[in-house]
Amino acid sequence: MGLHSNGLSLELVGREISGRPVPGKPRRPAGPYLLGLPALLLSCLLLVPIGVTVATAFTDADGSFGFGNFAVIGDPSALRAIGNSVAWIVVALCLVVVGFLLALVSYRLPGLWSILQPALVVPFAVSVLVSGATFRLIFDPTPERGTITAIWSGLFGTSPVWLGPGLFWLVLVSAFGWTWLGYVVSLFRAGLDAIPDDVTRAITVEGVTGWRRLFALELPMLRPITGVVTLTLVIAAVRVFDLVLIVVPGPMQRDADVLGLNWWRATTTGEDPGRTAALGIVLFAIVAAVAVIGVRGLRRRRWAMPVSAVSADRSLRRSKPSRRVRRIGWTVGFAVSLFWIFPAVVLVATALHSPREAGLHGWWHPGGLGLESFGAAANAGLLRALLSTVLISTIATVVLLAIAVPTAYLVAWGGLPQWLGRVVTSAFVVLAVTPVQMYAAPLRDAIGTAGLAGSRVALALVHAAAGLPFAVLLLRSAFASAPPALVAEALQGPARQSAVLATVQRTYRPALLAVAVLEFVLVWNDFIVGFLISGGPGTTPLSLVLWGEARQFSSSSGTVAAAAVVASVVPAVLLLSCWPTVVRGLTVGGKR
Amino acid sequence: MPSSRRAFLGATATLVVAGCSSTPDVLGLRRSVRVAVSWSGQELRAFQEVLDGLGALDYPVEVVPLGDDISTAFGPRSTRRPDIVMLPQPGLVPEHLKDLDPIPDDLASRSRARLWDELLVHDGTAYGVPFKTAHKSAVWYRPSVFKQHKLEPPKAWSEWLAVNRALSLAGVRPLSLAAGDGWVLTDFLENVLLGTAPSAYRDLAIAGKPNPSRVPELAAALRLLGTMWSAPGTLAGGVDRSLVQQFPDAVVEVFGHRRAAMVLASDFAEPVVRSFAADPNDIGLFTFPAVNPGAAAPVVIGGDVMVLPRPASADARDLVRRLAAPAAVDPWIKTGGFLVDGRTDGYSAELTMLAKQLAAGGPSMQFDLSDRLGRLGDINGLWRVLTEFLVRIGNSGSEEVPAAVEAALADLRKVES
Repeated sequence: MGLHSNGLSLELVGREISGRPVPGKPRRPAGPYLLGLPALLLSCLLLVPIGVTVATAFTDADGSFGFGNFAVIGDPSALRAIGNSVAWIVVALCLVVVGFLLALVSYRLPGLWSILQPALVVPFAVSVLVSGATFRLIFDPTPERGTITAIWSGLFGTSPVWLGPGLFWLVLVSAFGWTWLGYVVSLFRAGLDAIPDDVTRAITVEGVTGWRRLFALELPMLRPITGVVTLTLVIAAVRVFDLVLIVVPGPMQRDADVLGLNWWRATTTGEDPGRTAALGIVLFAIVAAVAVIGVRGLRRRRWAMPVSAVSADRSLRRSKPSRRVRRIGWTVGFAVSLFWIFPAVVLVATALHSPREAGLHGWWHPGGLGLESFGAAANAGLLRALLSTVLISTIATVVLLAIAVPTAYLVAWGGLPQWLGRVVTSAFVVLAVTPVQMYAAPLRDAIGTAGLAGSRVALALVHAAAGLPFAVLLLRSAFASAPPALVAEALQGPARQSAVLATVQRTYRPALLAVAVLEFVLVWNDFIVGFLISGGPGTTPLSLVLWGEARQFSSSSGTVAAAAVVASVVPAVLLLSCWPTVVRGLTVGGKR
Repeated sequence: MPSSRRAFLGATATLVVAGCSSTPDVLGLRRSVRVAVSWSGQELRAFQEVLDGLGALDYPVEVVPLGDDISTAFGPRSTRRPDIVMLPQPGLVPEHLKDLDPIPDDLASRSRARLWDELLVHDGTAYGVPFKTAHKSAVWYRPSVFKQHKLEPPKAWSEWLAVNRALSLAGVRPLSLAAGDGWVLTDFLENVLLGTAPSAYRDLAIAGKPNPSRVPELAAALRLLGTMWSAPGTLAGGVDRSLVQQFPDAVVEVFGHRRAAMVLASDFAEPVVRSFAADPNDIGLFTFPAVNPGAAAPVVIGGDVMVLPRPASADARDLVRRLAAPAAVDPWIKTGGFLVDGRTDGYSAELTMLAKQLAAGGPSMQFDLSDRLGRLGDINGLWRVLTEFLVRIGNSGSEEVPAAVEAALADLRKVES
């Protein structure tokens, strides 16, 4: 539709309608609310136990309301645990900074990324138990088995005991960093890639370089992603639990105590339920405080990323760096990748040694190669556990998707009153960061009373409920960030909402895939939910075999490594093959 | 389209239901018998073999390895209890009588054996069946080292100290200590205490509210122990290394990497010793020597007993009955490192020696003390106190010992209150 007059060609361009076209209150049909019903029911699996925990925590010994139970915080062991948990938060923040710098380097040195990315993703795919076990192998105190100990004693004659008092922190932090750095770098990198080229050029033209450029361009542009990354990492840091269990040798476990573990020890040694509930609340309060700050960061998005329908002119893109820079990027990328993939090599090489060889010598020893360790792991019940893990992860993922998609649709487009939408979103934010310890004890009791202890279906439902808030939040923002033009187009059709849904589906496949893949991998790698809810390992391959074998760690190195390898194959392959889409899904509102 | 989709969904649902009904235990819908054990590694696999050897059962069996946290099986939350607990601390049975169901009468005869009866039988009812017996006064060593330095396995505590001195002077670390496992430390102390003051040991074991910090004999035993641990050059790898090694690591240090001569480890260390030994013929065993001249050598025993948390199901009773059958444990005896109460044949030469000492009995044979001290003896009690004791004295010579003993007693007093 165009106008031609006096040699001028005018085109009519529609503008988005802001505000209501017709004054008055819109009528809201009640139908869409039904979409949220399954989510409400599923969330009750968490909400009711959380309510019970809160009630227990605030009920004093004489049955009255009060803060008496919170005296537990003054306990020296609880104090140490809180201190350690705070130290973990600092570690997480440092990791965010390191990850950001690495992303920046990889952005400025193209060529590095294509090699670096797979190397960084693999650790993120394996479970915390596996990475803990791997680093315990690397830092083993005997020069025959431990890589670092062997190198150190080779260089300096003797080596410190890396798992000993104080030094075990190094092992813990290395394992944590190895797991999470890939996630941090990938997300920051996706954010950097999404910075529109014209903005970059404008900054360049203004002659802003170096540190000033960092503060003028990259930092403000990456604010939303920094929020997501910081939030994820801090929550992961506060939730550290299984890592300490598998890495730290018995006598030092008290020094390494964190809140989550302290809670668990308190429940298992039969401490008063009120006091353990209070510990759970303290843990929750720390996470929630961080989450509030993180979410504020998320909200402050001052501008929208443009959606480019046509790809930009090649000549307008970021200029290709010189050959020398590219070569440097390539070399650095290769070196970092080798370094980063090294723990995985140690794990696989250890698994390929017989249990005897792996218990006596390190992964580099040529003797005793074979698949014996895998046989030993199979004897410890690995296959049956693997089957049950497939089942639990599949059920949890399917249930989650079936419930999260309509709910997210309802929140994004269902016409909820604004206040209700806000309440629902905030409730999901709170639930998303709630630690397992807040609901584990009452839920476990309820499952036991219902005669479902050890039931994999019950466990899968709990997983789905725990994954629901995150899934809804992610899908909601994906659905909501549908380009208004697209949605308007869809709305003009006769079948209004189903058309929107179809559009949303087509445009936001990445978010759906991200939710499905992440939920599957998280449930697959889970230790803590299965451990705390079903009252002991016996539901996932890692917990069954790793937990059982790792009790006598070094002499079972071969079996532990074999079980870890078997358990890591599926999540590693899944994440590696879907990683670009997952990152796109996680950074919705970014480039696409 | 909709009809075909419905048909597809229907078919899927049918498949799922069919799949579930044929393998109900995979979904966990059918109640399996959950057996909580403290074993891991080779022991866990050996137990799995025992279960496999039972043949086809009418119910699925799930082994739940709880490690040192096995006592959590009786946690306050009754609903998640396992159906059978292989309790490695028989001393806990009297504390948990109200949580336990009695053992079927036809199995109770084994519970009434000497020493076991006072733990397992109450008011004529048996609450546990011994499954596995542990001889906790065994020291594994490498005969070649002893021969090379013209030494003999010690028959008395003073001889042991002399052997240690001779070896460390010759540049060989005499002792590998698995301080990563707290029970290794308590076993050491118990042996010394039982060797010096059997009656004080006995009094502590049966006391209703024990106060070990007020027992002078315990302080004396700590001083003796301190003398051995504190001697410079005694512990392989020093204190830090000892703290991170568990009992199999300590065994590997002696027999695999050959960096030490001896290790205090129970009979159940046998499969570890054999599978990691660099020379399969260089394996020796002596029992804990007499501590006081003229006194009998101490024999500390432990074991795993099968108990049935209340309410016990018929399936759980059935499994206990099958596991209690004498032939059931044959696969484990073949693997090594398994002693059964009252049986002295079928073992390796080393274990036969231990089994005979167990069968002989005598006044200096007692149950593991730390099991009977309740929370005083566990990971937050004696284990931790002894770990800190070791950190204070390790490698620093005997002049540190008196102060460290005082500190340990003060720690114990804190735990007691």
